[in-house]
Amino acid sequence: MIRPASGGALLLVALGTGCLPTLMLSFNSELAAHGGALFASWAAHGTGTIAALMMLLVLAGIGWGQRPPQAGRAPLWAYLGGCTGAVNVMLSSTAVNAGLALAGTQAVALSGQMLFGLAADRWGLLGLPRRPLSLSKALPIGLIVCGSMVILLFDTGLR
Amino acid sequence: MLMAIALALTSGVLVGVNRQVNGTLAFFLSPLRASFINHLLGVGLLTLAGLAVGGLFTPTALSAPWYAYFGGPLGVLFVAGSSWLILRISAVSTTMLLISGQLLSGVALDIVRAVPGSPTARVTGIAMILAGVVLMHRRR
Repeated sequence: MIRPASGGALLLVALGTGCLPTLMLSFNSELAAHGGALFASWAAHGTGTIAALMMLLVLAGIGWGQRPPQAGRAPLWAYLGGCTGAVNVMLSSTAVNAGLALAGTQAVALSGQMLFGLAADRWGLLGLPRRPLSLSKALPIGLIVCGSMVILLFDTGLR
Repeated sequence: MLMAIALALTSGVLVGVNRQVNGTLAFFLSPLRASFINHLLGVGLLTLAGLAVGGLFTPTALSAPWYAYFGGPLGVLFVAGSSWLILRISAVSTTMLLISGQLLSGVALDIVRAVPGSPTARVTGIAMILAGVVLMHRRR
């Protein structure tokens, strides 16, 4: 079973996790500037693999076992998430170079993420439960998407 | 340009697919184990790509500063955190909250680094995002 979390914990994890892509992009593009995009992605996945292994060992060492929420075996396709990560690096960097620039690429990609999220919740895609959209969520979604577009498209800072 | 838009849109969809797939794996293993497998497969595929195409190591590759290698470990936390979230709230709510965190921290970082930009756009955008997060949070 999934242990439910309080609203505050959810918000804290979400905003904290959301900060990471900004730093990741900054570090990974620094790697790419020195060794190219392929090396940057390879190094990021390589150091990530080592870091994840170390975190798992430390957690096991202090007795904080990783208990699976659900007994049984995951479907085979669930192990293939790493494929999309590798392909994604190539797609997004090509889009940046093909004329959309960084902000434009992020704005369009954001729309893609949101559309997929809506479809995933509507039909319960890829193994997670259906969570049909309630009308009360339309306003917050609209505000977040429009606010993001305003920053991405009208603030000339590099992101 | 149409090609670039199609690529960027596909990239966004892939981010969503990745979150959903790793979330399902986290359901049977744990968010951190799912993140480990995601990165292990990624480095394996990229190694194969490097062997097939070449050009993985350029002479200047090792001149990057040490801290640039922290992007990967942060990515582990990102995938694990996203998987933890999507098991508890909907895909749309996860996406919206993550995007909010991303843009809020991005603007904060730009202000700290004194990157020039439009104060009007920053204030308007941040106000809209915060209002959206508060509304989404309250009505859950």
